[in-house]
Amino acid sequence: MILAAFALLGPLIATALILILRRGAAGIALLGAGIGALAAVATLVRVAGGERFAASLPGLPTYGLRLTVDPLAAVVSTVVAVVASLVFVYAVGYMESEPGQTRFYADMSFFVAAMQALVLAGDWVLLLAAWEVIGFASYLLIGFWYDRPGVGAAATRAFLTTRAADFGLYLGIFLLVTRSGTTVIADTFGVGGRTATLAGALLLIGAMGKSAQVPFQGWLQDAMAGPTPVSALLHSATLVAAGAYLLIRVSPLLTPDARLMVGIVGGITALIAGITALAQQDVKRCLAASTSSQLGFMFLAVGAGAPVAAVFHLIAHAAIKSALFQGAGIFQHTRGATAFARLGGVGRTHRGIYAGFTVAALALAGVPPLAGFRSKDTIIAATFAAPGAALLAPFALVGTLLTGAYMARALRLLWRGEGADRPVAGRGWMGAGMTVLVAFAATLGSAAPPLSRLLGMTLPESAFPVVAGLLMALLGLLIGWIAPAEWIPERFRLVAETGFRVGDGVLTFIVRPVLALSHRADRFERVLGGSTQSIGRSVAHLAYRADVADARLQAGVQAVGNAGQMLARLSRIFDERVIDGLIAALVRGIRVLDARARALQSGFVSRELVFAVGGAALLVLLLVLFR
Amino acid sequence: MITLWVALAVGAALFAVGLYGALSQTNMVMIMMGVELMLGAAMVNLVAFWRFLHPQVYAGQMFVLIVMTVMALEAAVGFGVATARFRAKGSVEMEEATELRE
Repeated sequence: MILAAFALLGPLIATALILILRRGAAGIALLGAGIGALAAVATLVRVAGGERFAASLPGLPTYGLRLTVDPLAAVVSTVVAVVASLVFVYAVGYMESEPGQTRFYADMSFFVAAMQALVLAGDWVLLLAAWEVIGFASYLLIGFWYDRPGVGAAATRAFLTTRAADFGLYLGIFLLVTRSGTTVIADTFGVGGRTATLAGALLLIGAMGKSAQVPFQGWLQDAMAGPTPVSALLHSATLVAAGAYLLIRVSPLLTPDARLMVGIVGGITALIAGITALAQQDVKRCLAASTSSQLGFMFLAVGAGAPVAAVFHLIAHAAIKSALFQGAGIFQHTRGATAFARLGGVGRTHRGIYAGFTVAALALAGVPPLAGFRSKDTIIAATFAAPGAALLAPFALVGTLLTGAYMARALRLLWRGEGADRPVAGRGWMGAGMTVLVAFAATLGSAAPPLSRLLGMTLPESAFPVVAGLLMALLGLLIGWIAPAEWIPERFRLVAETGFRVGDGVLTFIVRPVLALSHRADRFERVLGGSTQSIGRSVAHLAYRADVADARLQAGVQAVGNAGQMLARLSRIFDERVIDGLIAALVRGIRVLDARARALQSGFVSRELVFAVGGAALLVLLLVLFR
Repeated sequence: MITLWVALAVGAALFAVGLYGALSQTNMVMIMMGVELMLGAAMVNLVAFWRFLHPQVYAGQMFVLIVMTVMALEAAVGFGVATARFRAKGSVEMEEATELRE
């Protein structure tokens, strides 16, 4: 298990190191991604050998966090890790002269770690957490050039759109967990019946947001405001694949009704996004729309009940689209722009890159023997074999036609025309990353039999769909190569160019509800704040009253104290002046008397005797007189 | 027959002599003799009153006995003081004895 965990820990530790060291970001990120890729490949080999891993981490009480490695997780984890490390190689060249490398590589590594967590998650809580974290990392990466005009809005739009759709994911998970009483993903598939249909539909909404399916498709084209390595990693191979991965993961849960819904959503997206791609005037936006459309194919496969075909297409598409984006990035560096008008003729001056781009484009269109041929064929075959074949098969065929058309158109626009090139720095790194991916795009078709063995499901195959698909692809390529965009009616083309925004798209469906919600929240908060404030005010009033009473009390106490003090002063004055005076007078009087009396004393006995006799005589006289 | 007033006259005469003696003499012994005389006069009076007014009760006699005892004691103390004074100063003349003033 520790081996599998390194697929997650490698990039995560790299993120931490980059943030701590703040230098050598590219090297650390490459090392982390490389370790992750090696761990993932080693895990895949061991899983192919029949081993299964699971680990439980302490999480919520009674709901531990689980990492499980089953064949599906191992395969997708490997795809993520390998594509990520190749994109990192490419990014070393692409970002060579850009400021903010620390931020870029930290965000990228962080995203890869979160994506691995999502892929390896064995319970809904961890999956949801990773789901949100990749959304957040995507926001950071789209907004990497935040000082350029429109980038902030694009990042916000991407984030808000996916967040809005996540509402469905939350509800779906809530439903599943409450119904089954466990958060272990595999254990919640047993709910069955209407609950399963409802949960499937809700999860589908979340997946639609993340995978840029109609009507949430618009954010992906705006997300091209980010650096091209971000587009090559997030918006082709991994982040947007999360939605498809989720549906593949829960495909055992999906009832026929839910599957039909998934298929229809995917089919409509394959069509609308295909037309959008056909009308784009910008190579990156064209590729973004194409991503939506290819993810629609994956949804179609899941809807047709062949998740293995979806996995196959996911792998093939990851390599192909990443290679295409990397090629577009090199062209972008050459001309300093991504608009087709500025990129005219770039293919003739960079033939090597153009050749790689062409291989990948043909692979996407479904030309044998390249990867896209096998993967798309299995999807078409699956739709023909599905219960809703009449509905799903036309979607798949027309989608294939459109894929061929827009790829051929892109090739033509890149080949013809004129433009001034400028020297490109870091071309070696970029070329290396792209070459490996192109090689994968060319050869992954042969991975079909081992993949189906590993996942334990058979790839649907039959002759008629293969021939029909191939015909459609070739027809599309032909149309795309020879037919100029002006063939499409002007009015329709303008609508398609903006990506079929329904009634001002994001504004109506995302921004307004979000604003309304936040307005409500604000009002609630204000009411809450008001009541809190009034409570506070009344308390303050009470405190004021208490204060006044206290002041009065204090004044009274002080008055009493003053009176007492005055009394004390008075008594002191009385004491000092009157009593002391009296006592002093008494003492003085006694002293005077004493002096007189002392004067009488002579010490002569005879004289004393005379006094005594005189006194006695006086007494006798008084007795006689007053008897 | 001797009557009461005769006895009282004798007492008064005795008292007068004692008083004169006590006041006129400067010798301490002489003063004390004067005092003794006065006390004797008082005793005469007491006996006279008992004898002529209340001969049935013996309180008068008792009183005289007490006075006599007091006289004896007074004489003893007085002579003690006089002896001590004489030993210390060599005289009992009261004109020279002003220390009592202090």
